[in-house]
Amino acid sequence: MSDASGTSSAPALIRLMKVGKSYFRGREPIEVLTDLDLEMPEGAFEALMGPSGSGKSTLLNLIAGLDSPTSGTILVSGQDLGRMSDAERAKWRSQNVGFIFQTYNLLPVLTAVENVELPLLLTSVASKERRKRALTALRIVGLEDRASHRPDQLSGGQQQRVAIARAIVTDPKIIVADEPTGDLDRVSADAILDLLVNLNQELKKTIVMVTHDQRAADRATIVRRLDKGQLT
Amino acid sequence: MNLATIAIKNTRRNLFRTVLTIFGVAVAMLAFLLLRTVLSAWLVGVEYSAKDRLATRHKITFIMTLPKRYVEDVRQVPGVTAVTWFNWFGGKLPGKEDQFFGTMAVDIKSFLDVYDEIYVPPEQKANVLADRRGAIVGASLARQFGWKVGDHITLDGTIFPGQWEFNVDGIYTATKKSIDQSSLYFHWDYLNESLPEIQREQVGWIASKVPDAGQAATVAKRIDTLFEPRDIQTLSMSERAMNTSFLGMISTLLDAMQIVSFVILLIMMLILGNTIAMGVRERTHEYGVLRAIGFMPKHLSAFVVAEATVLGLLGGALGVAIGIPLINQGVGRFMEESFTGLFPYFRVLERDVFIVMGLSVGLAVIAAIIPAYNASKLHVVDALRKFG
Amino acid sequence: MIPVAYNIRSLAVRKATTIATATGIALVVAVLASSQMLSNGIRNTLGKAGQPGRAIVLRKGADTEMSSNLENRMLNLILAAPGVKRDSSGQPRGVGELLVVLALEKPGTSGQMSNVALRGVSDNVFQFRDQVKIVAGRPAKPGSHEVVIGQRLRGQFKGLDIGQKFELKKNLNVETVGVFAGNGSSSESEVWGDVDLVRSAFGRDAMLSSVIVELESPAKFDAFKVAMERDKQLGLQAFPEIQYYEQQSEGTAKLVTWLTGVVVFFFSVGAIIGATITMYAAVAHRKREIGTLRALGFSRTTILFSFLLEAVLLALLGGVTGALASLGMGFVKFSMMNMTSWSEISFSFDPTPGILASAVLLGGMMGVLGGVFPAFRASRVSAVEAMRD
Repeated sequence: MSDASGTSSAPALIRLMKVGKSYFRGREPIEVLTDLDLEMPEGAFEALMGPSGSGKSTLLNLIAGLDSPTSGTILVSGQDLGRMSDAERAKWRSQNVGFIFQTYNLLPVLTAVENVELPLLLTSVASKERRKRALTALRIVGLEDRASHRPDQLSGGQQQRVAIARAIVTDPKIIVADEPTGDLDRVSADAILDLLVNLNQELKKTIVMVTHDQRAADRATIVRRLDKGQLT
Repeated sequence: MNLATIAIKNTRRNLFRTVLTIFGVAVAMLAFLLLRTVLSAWLVGVEYSAKDRLATRHKITFIMTLPKRYVEDVRQVPGVTAVTWFNWFGGKLPGKEDQFFGTMAVDIKSFLDVYDEIYVPPEQKANVLADRRGAIVGASLARQFGWKVGDHITLDGTIFPGQWEFNVDGIYTATKKSIDQSSLYFHWDYLNESLPEIQREQVGWIASKVPDAGQAATVAKRIDTLFEPRDIQTLSMSERAMNTSFLGMISTLLDAMQIVSFVILLIMMLILGNTIAMGVRERTHEYGVLRAIGFMPKHLSAFVVAEATVLGLLGGALGVAIGIPLINQGVGRFMEESFTGLFPYFRVLERDVFIVMGLSVGLAVIAAIIPAYNASKLHVVDALRKFG
Repeated sequence: MIPVAYNIRSLAVRKATTIATATGIALVVAVLASSQMLSNGIRNTLGKAGQPGRAIVLRKGADTEMSSNLENRMLNLILAAPGVKRDSSGQPRGVGELLVVLALEKPGTSGQMSNVALRGVSDNVFQFRDQVKIVAGRPAKPGSHEVVIGQRLRGQFKGLDIGQKFELKKNLNVETVGVFAGNGSSSESEVWGDVDLVRSAFGRDAMLSSVIVELESPAKFDAFKVAMERDKQLGLQAFPEIQYYEQQSEGTAKLVTWLTGVVVFFFSVGAIIGATITMYAAVAHRKREIGTLRALGFSRTTILFSFLLEAVLLALLGGVTGALASLGMGFVKFSMMNMTSWSEISFSFDPTPGILASAVLLGGMMGVLGGVFPAFRASRVSAVEAMRD
């Protein structure tokens, strides 16, 4: 499939070149990804699918800068992630990536707006401005009126929307989503997917999503399949 | 929202455990405060004792007496500005032999001059000086036995046998914390005249005043040198030196209490550290999320230490809040009355409160070191995979 | 019943928490055991000096030898009283002694002094006080300027070791020639010298502090007491020796007991709280496990006792460790001022099986108290929890 914006000359935001990733269990190395080549343009909404053990989560982790490859090069926005130290990648993540998890992962002791504010603590934004931006993000996801509610007072779908607000509050280029609809019922899942499409088209966010859900994959612009560490 | 508010909010996670931990810390700090107050009470006596007053006693042992004429000799020593003398009487109230209090025969007039931190209202002072059997008693002592000015009391002599009658002509208070308010002083002349010929003209020890603390050692040496060639030699030192050496005799007990205090602090750290460590283990997944968002290991450590500090602070404050009234009103009274002489002043000192609070916070930080380190060492990807 | 191995393994798996909690309990138990050992040591030291069948005579009104003054001529009067045992040659068994306090320098300090009890004794003191034996050196020659010292004083002061000399008063030096042991009693913290020597040094000619006699039997005490106290002019009073020494130790023992009682109470509360926190966390952590056990058919009561047992095992781990650690105190000597004699006296930490057992028991109790509420919580977990994630 071609990318959603229709222009075929969009610059590659994410480039993987001969990327390999292995883990060590005892003395035997387990190769999860082998010699992977991949390019994702800016503004794409990509879905990664595959059976479990295919390495799709590992690939997501590499793209998100959570981990570094055993071999090969990963360039995101021109930055070589493999060359960065742990601390450098942490800083890079805080500025460039927003995360959405299957289990929402909000801090139970903080309110919705406080949860959204969390990533801003890593910036030099002043406290009043932080609060303002957090509320703006909540407005985008349609939950401004629940700002002072805690996660245990929100439904699954609402929690995931708060998580999405958190993911966009620092205005990152990339949003990484790991099974975002996995814990939701059909209605809520659709609402979340609508929101993601919106973020992609209106706010021009590049979205990389791992999913089992075919209907989620259908909403993406590009679908890639992985099997045994190889793109198929 | 900042580190502190997040730390405070995190304590609500498992409110029951948080409350138990705070309570545990409070109990430990309360016990520590109690022990410190006992130690301070002992040391207060030394700290406030006079450096510009000397005590002169028999060189061999304080049980042996000095001849009364030595008083005049001490008065003549250069550097001595005032002199007074004491005999330990050792009296007991008939029927209440187990309630110990100090009784001494003194030359009341010069005694009050030399011990100017003892205050007796003027009319009471005039009365006792005019009354051969007059006595002044400390305010605490008067309270303990319900004595009032004008009361007539009888004491059994243990060293000087017989029944001795006294009139409570005055009640004294002290302007300094180191003088105990639980003694009875009466006229030396009364004692001296009542003794058989061979036992007269003996004093227990001589107290003298010097112009300032700097001269204490020199004048003390001068006094001892004066009596060196005679049959009966003396040993003189400042009051503070005397109290310090007295403390030296119970130094083992003091050391034991220091050790026990240390153990209390250890227990407090164990309780606190354990709770924090549990929290860290349970929040592994959450820490993974924070790291994913971009928080660094040092941030996570900061979160852990901040939480420990909050618990320590609340626990310490609670311990102090319960401790101060408990010790001052309850335990303090009990100690001052049952162990008078040992504890003339048993109150929580401001300094000790600061020490307790400082320790609550400081030790909380130390207890958090290992859990904080563990939190910082998490691998992001592994942490994210864990559930709970 | 759920096998104990389940509880033991569960404790082993959560190593850090188990060790932390057990250590807290161990500390409490160690302190409790040590303080009881000290109280016991005090009672033994001060109490053992007294023998049944012996009586001590003091001046009326004096509550301790130190403040008692008797004239020497009273000695024969007292020895002649009814009830006093006589030996094979018809001599009454009794001695007159003079107890004073002497200031001596501590070794290794620059002039720091402390008080030591000096007892002026008669020539036949070792025959009379037969539980005291010379263990090093030799007895002092009668009428000489020689002294012997109790073994607990050895090396504690300058001059108190065999061959060393010290000053009794100006120009009156004495030499330590022997060391004696007295069954762990307070005598072991005394210096003994000839009574006339002590008299002349301290200006107490023809005086005694006390007379101690051996009675024909403990039952004879009442008659003896009557004889002593009948004549008011004499101004005497008599006590059974055991009772006298018990009174002496009361003040010191009371202080130690009170202080440690308070301390141990607080410690225990802290340790119990620690145990409670740990056990609650264990229950919360193992909800699925418990649910599974219930689904398999184990009853609520079984679960309750299992978790209670786990708490007790945890506490006993700490308790036994603490009790064993406290045995190390047996090597420590504790010297402090005896309130009644104003001299330094040395106490030891005397363990007994009873003390150790009760300390471990206390540890177990703390486990029960700390674990009872968590155990109830565990018993209320339903089988449904097994299915939840």
